[in-house]
Amino acid sequence: MGSFEYLRPASISEAIALMEGSGGRGVYIAGGTDVMVLIRQKKIFPGCLISLRNIGDLAYLNTASGLAIGSAVTHNAIAKNEFIQKKYTALTDATNKVGSLQIRNVATMGGNICNAAPSADTACPLLVLDAQAVIAGKDGDRKVPIDDFFLGPNKVALKPGEILKGFAMPAFNGRTGSAYIKHTRRQAMDLPMLGVAARITIRIDGDEIGCKDALCTIDNISNILRRFEDEKLVCEDIRIAMGVVAPRPMRAKKAEEALKGKVISEALFEEIGEIAASECQPRDSIRGEAWYRRDMVKVLTRRAILRAVDRVIRPDDMIWPERLW
Amino acid sequence: MDGLKFVGKRIPKKDAPLKATGEAIYIQDLKVPGMLYGKILYSKYPHAKILKLDISKASALPGVKAVITGGDVPNNFKFGFLKDNPPLKSGKVLSTRDEIAAVAAVSQEIAEEAIDLIDVEYEELPGIFDPIEAMKEGAALVHEEFPSNVLKMPWKFVHGDVEAAKKESAFIAEDTFSTQWVTHCCLGTSGCVASFDVGNTLTMYSNTQIPSLAQGDFLEALKAFGLKNKRVRIIQTVIGGGFGSKLDTYAYEYIAILLALKTRRPVKIVFSREEEFLATSPRQPTITKISQGCDKDGKLTFREMAMVLDNGAYTSWGATTPSVMMVPISSLYKVPNIKYTAKCVYTNNTYSQAFRGYGNPQATFAIESCLDQLAEKAGIDPVEIRRINANESGEVTPQNFRITSCGMKDCIEEVVKRLDWKNKCKRGNGKGVGMASLIHVGGAARVYKSDGCGTIIKVDDNGKVDVITGASEIGQGSDTIIAQIVAEVLGIPMDDINVINNDTDVCPWDVGAHASRTTFVAGNSALGAAQKIKAQIMEIAAKNLGEPVDALDMQDGIIFSKNDKEKSIPLGKVLRKAHYSLGGRMLVAEHFYDPPNENFDQTFRGNLSVSYAYGAHGVEVEVDRETGQVKILNYIAAHDVGKAINPMLLEGQIYGGGLQGIGYALGERMIYDKGYLKNGNFLDYKMPTVRDVPPVQAVIVESDEQAGPFGAKGIGEPGLVPTAPAIANAIYDAVGVRIKDLPITPEKILRALKEKEGQKA
Repeated sequence: MGSFEYLRPASISEAIALMEGSGGRGVYIAGGTDVMVLIRQKKIFPGCLISLRNIGDLAYLNTASGLAIGSAVTHNAIAKNEFIQKKYTALTDATNKVGSLQIRNVATMGGNICNAAPSADTACPLLVLDAQAVIAGKDGDRKVPIDDFFLGPNKVALKPGEILKGFAMPAFNGRTGSAYIKHTRRQAMDLPMLGVAARITIRIDGDEIGCKDALCTIDNISNILRRFEDEKLVCEDIRIAMGVVAPRPMRAKKAEEALKGKVISEALFEEIGEIAASECQPRDSIRGEAWYRRDMVKVLTRRAILRAVDRVIRPDDMIWPERLW
Repeated sequence: MDGLKFVGKRIPKKDAPLKATGEAIYIQDLKVPGMLYGKILYSKYPHAKILKLDISKASALPGVKAVITGGDVPNNFKFGFLKDNPPLKSGKVLSTRDEIAAVAAVSQEIAEEAIDLIDVEYEELPGIFDPIEAMKEGAALVHEEFPSNVLKMPWKFVHGDVEAAKKESAFIAEDTFSTQWVTHCCLGTSGCVASFDVGNTLTMYSNTQIPSLAQGDFLEALKAFGLKNKRVRIIQTVIGGGFGSKLDTYAYEYIAILLALKTRRPVKIVFSREEEFLATSPRQPTITKISQGCDKDGKLTFREMAMVLDNGAYTSWGATTPSVMMVPISSLYKVPNIKYTAKCVYTNNTYSQAFRGYGNPQATFAIESCLDQLAEKAGIDPVEIRRINANESGEVTPQNFRITSCGMKDCIEEVVKRLDWKNKCKRGNGKGVGMASLIHVGGAARVYKSDGCGTIIKVDDNGKVDVITGASEIGQGSDTIIAQIVAEVLGIPMDDINVINNDTDVCPWDVGAHASRTTFVAGNSALGAAQKIKAQIMEIAAKNLGEPVDALDMQDGIIFSKNDKEKSIPLGKVLRKAHYSLGGRMLVAEHFYDPPNENFDQTFRGNLSVSYAYGAHGVEVEVDRETGQVKILNYIAAHDVGKAINPMLLEGQIYGGGLQGIGYALGERMIYDKGYLKNGNFLDYKMPTVRDVPPVQAVIVESDEQAGPFGAKGIGEPGLVPTAPAIANAIYDAVGVRIKDLPITPEKILRALKEKEGQKA
């Protein structure tokens, strides 16, 4: 490992100034779980590391209107947040499954997104939660929809010196649920072979949605959905996002289009999965074969939507996952 | 065996506090005064000519003390089982782990920087990466000096008449099974410090599993390097796992020696994790054709197996794994007619070596998967066919193994009971059960000329005992086991016993920590030495107490008369009396135990082990038909261990082995693409994590092996032997597809399910 300076600015503007003065040899570092690996692998040779850790303006978590999360908030802080567990559950699913507890305690969501790996776990949830990236630069803040933030593998829409300040997500009504499924070969310390996130808002004429009998608490969601068939649950709004099936995390827009406004059923979700699979472009790699990934998009899209629906119908079950460690 | 105070007890490992507090000194921690740091440059290509090798820039880097290449290896020295492996390669490279240059520098960073400054030009050559291709006539030779890529090691075992048996069999099942490269993943990576004194005595600080054999290897190297009649001392640091990876000597050790000779300073080489993946030797991949038959009642009639092993570019002790593969092939269940051949084939891949089980898991995967196929053909329950053919005490197997204690049937019944086999099999709901049995050497294995281990016991004036053993503690707990045995014999507390195990200048000879032999051999050796020292102590105590020797006993460090408890004397006092008197003496006893087992003869017959270990694993799985993912719901591992000296450590061996086996079965593989390792890191090498651990029940079956110390047999390796076939059989029971190629990935299951449904993946 080569030597470098380690700088600890106290504010965003100071950080940007330090970056400007670094002569192109500065690298921002937050949790460091990606940057330090790159340095040790001799893939980058920074002259100085500019730490974003002590900057309070990057560490906010605000629920006053929608959800606003600073880029320096750690995965574990997000995973443990009860508001997010209830209202933005896909983010809980994703932050809970990154690396190990040790990694989640230091790795930040901003870092996960700026690293822009096609496999970034938090990318799919942010896509389905209509997040906007808030970017701080010399001349003030600007906002970019997260879908436009990812440009390609390890490439994001940050101009030199700019800092990803955080994420802003709108508020969703109470008939909304979201989920992220990470498909892995083992239960921890793994990247997804693929990941699928879904957010759905359900509309029903008349009565409110929710399970009314005891069976509902133990039955599986497929059966429950079948029992709701006559009540005509309609998909009011839907987002589907997929990771590791293209050079960057992507929305399955055709699949979304096909589901929006329709009466929901598991059979329909199956079709939606097929459409999503046709939209992605998975590759063969040592981490998984293309045909398998495409097949899993079908399966996991259906399962992710089902899980999101489940969270609308059975909100009490929304404390996720089963083992909180 | 009632009244035991130490043996059979769940006593925590003696070295646990050291390891838990970080006080243990591993090779990574070791610093020797004046020490330099060595680093190795590996080949960029799996097969290439070296056109240019320029070390001038590296040599000129400040802080670099030596740069060596193939030309610096004296007398064309080569090491390895067939002496085909030069520590530094020149002219040509045969695999991507070929060492072509090495640096010694004042810091690790400078050594790494210097490696990057070495300028190499290659001419890439086409390589051979498939052992089947390499066996074909006219295939390019990996070693041009040998006539064929097939190693000249004719592994063949024939018993009875397989052809005749085939004709008489009511049912025959045959198929082909294959296994992958897997690596040991020791927490402690490989490493050493080589140091010469002014008289050219070599001290090697090492984490080897075979101190005595390594000493011999290095002596031979010194001789080749022009240092005749010198001494080699091996000092083992605390070892962070072995699993067979440290069961041979490697290029990096010879390179450290050469660098130390050249610089006249100690040189340390410790592998990074990436290097550990690339440059240590994995379990050999196998392709196995198997055919087994039974009569109409399910009694096995024959077993025929032909195996091809990818040897890689060089030959280690691992090329002798077919000898241990023969153990299950000839002797797992009663099979009257056997035919087995194996070929080890040179390729431009990484070279293979020993790994826990030493070939047995590969062979058992084929045997036990195929046995379920045969049972299905014969319409017999998988449990029943195993009951019918189970091994028994008193049996002499086709290889002339004399089966003494045998708890195989008990192990099978434990699995059946605990898995609720009757209700759990053939449910057809995506859940299924499977089982597989094992035989392994359980009373040492005579693969080397001696299979012995020595122990010296000395006692001091205060009643404290030093046990100096040849056995290597590699994390398995041999120090604790040995201390328990000595404590039991002498009747003194565990804390009064100090086990010294790490220095060839002090410790007696031992063939190494392999073949699940340490408890059996080192245990018997310690038992013998303890009995000898006890006899000496009692003789002196008898004189002091005026009682006959056989009236005396010792407990908690006090010697007393069984007739008159008032007559007693503390051990320390006896020892001081012996020491501080005219013609005084210090008490020391030694015992060398070499088990009465046999080397194989020319036909591969001979009682390889004094006793044999048995076991059966049963597993319940749930298969996700949509994703192909397997979840283990329940895992039963029943093992006949003779006698559990320390049930806690023993269960640790079963859990650890089982989990390593689960990794082997379901996820772990080194992905080599045309000679290049593609996943040499823990991110892409899918070793199970703690979150992947299923519920495992370790079931101890005791069969009281008469030849074992307090009845014990070996348990080091068996835990992972039947894991893969048990899981494969359970998957078949769950969803009706049989995966014959390890590891059993979700892709393979899904593809097989689609094929079964007539769809194309």
